Amino acid sequence: MSGKSAREARREERLQAEGEGAAQERRKRLLQIGSAAVFLAIVVVAVLIVKSLSETSGGDTSLEDVGLVKRQLQGIPQTGLVLGDPKAKVTLFEFGDLQCPVCKGFSEEIIPAVIDSKVRSGEAKLDFRNYTIISQESIPAGAAAIAAGEQGRGWNFIELFYRNQGPEASGYVTDGFLSEIARGAGVADIARWNKDRKSAAVLKEVEATTAEAQRLGFTGTPSFAVEGPGTSGKKSLGTPGSAGLLEEAIEDAG
Amino acid sequence: MKLPTEGTLRMIATFVAAFGIGVATYIAIADSGGGSPVCLAGGSGCETVANSSYSHLAGVNIAVFGIAGYALLLAASLLRGDLARMAGFGVSLVGFGYSVYLTQLELFKIEAICQWCVASAVLMTVLFGLNAMRMVGYVGRPA
Repeated sequence: MSGKSAREARREERLQAEGEGAAQERRKRLLQIGSAAVFLAIVVVAVLIVKSLSETSGGDTSLEDVGLVKRQLQGIPQTGLVLGDPKAKVTLFEFGDLQCPVCKGFSEEIIPAVIDSKVRSGEAKLDFRNYTIISQESIPAGAAAIAAGEQGRGWNFIELFYRNQGPEASGYVTDGFLSEIARGAGVADIARWNKDRKSAAVLKEVEATTAEAQRLGFTGTPSFAVEGPGTSGKKSLGTPGSAGLLEEAIEDAG
Repeated sequence: MKLPTEGTLRMIATFVAAFGIGVATYIAIADSGGGSPVCLAGGSGCETVANSSYSHLAGVNIAVFGIAGYALLLAASLLRGDLARMAGFGVSLVGFGYSVYLTQLELFKIEAICQWCVASAVLMTVLFGLNAMRMVGYVGRPA
């Protein structure tokens, strides 16, 4: 091999080695970028999770029975203020006022049995309708329940409200109280809930169901009606004094 | 550990991304019709998740972002070179991270599981795995 060709061969080897080195360097740089991206993603996801968990924790809530209400309604579909399978052929309507102490008694002693025997099984669905008769404060309370229903937590709101109810028309139904109930009920978007509960459409719905209760001839709360294949329209039940009577009415309407 | 060839990784990623587009499109169509995806195994988890505020981002159903993400991953799996490798890795990393966040929301905040969302999270996890292997094994190397 001549001196010239040997030099050329060495030059080519050097160029090749430099090219390989550059490729290695580029690969190393790209892998470093990838690793940095992974690190950044882990940090961002961790921050998002910690933030959302701290928002939900509610561990410092002073509300009663948050866990009990959650367990009672666990696994039952909710659409608006309707609890149970939307396709259930019988509907039990409860016309109630969230400030009403008798409604609270029903919520604690009678309704849970009906939920367990008839609603959870899909035989009937339970439709809560506001009948605001105690005081003006019942209107924002009812609207807040409807707004919670728009986020799938209507019945959690109603049940939790009853379990933390204050004395009738005593002024306890404040924005702060309603917000605490909403958080305890698991309403996810409080800003949206606040907007919804003050909307004209929601307030109109409270008025409309109150007017409906009056049309049905109800004079107190809670009042019940049932509708199903065995009834022609809503059949008024008044205020049955036991879960058994409500279950019987559901069976007759089915 | 010996990695599969880049061609194999790209081929699997192509199928998974196409499947992901199908799942995300179903969720988006169900939502645009005013309803919610139907949980195949029954239950109301899909409805609860679809009705929650977390199902939309800036007023847009997150499934629409999912469709866009899967479409980018499909494109990245069809293309050669470092740009496609890095783009596939980056997009799948974002998708995987967001899926982890959403699954955590379903479990602890919404307290309902939507099977379609879980399916999408699984597909995104698989795509992240495939794209991570493609990047670690082949980035900076000839296409």
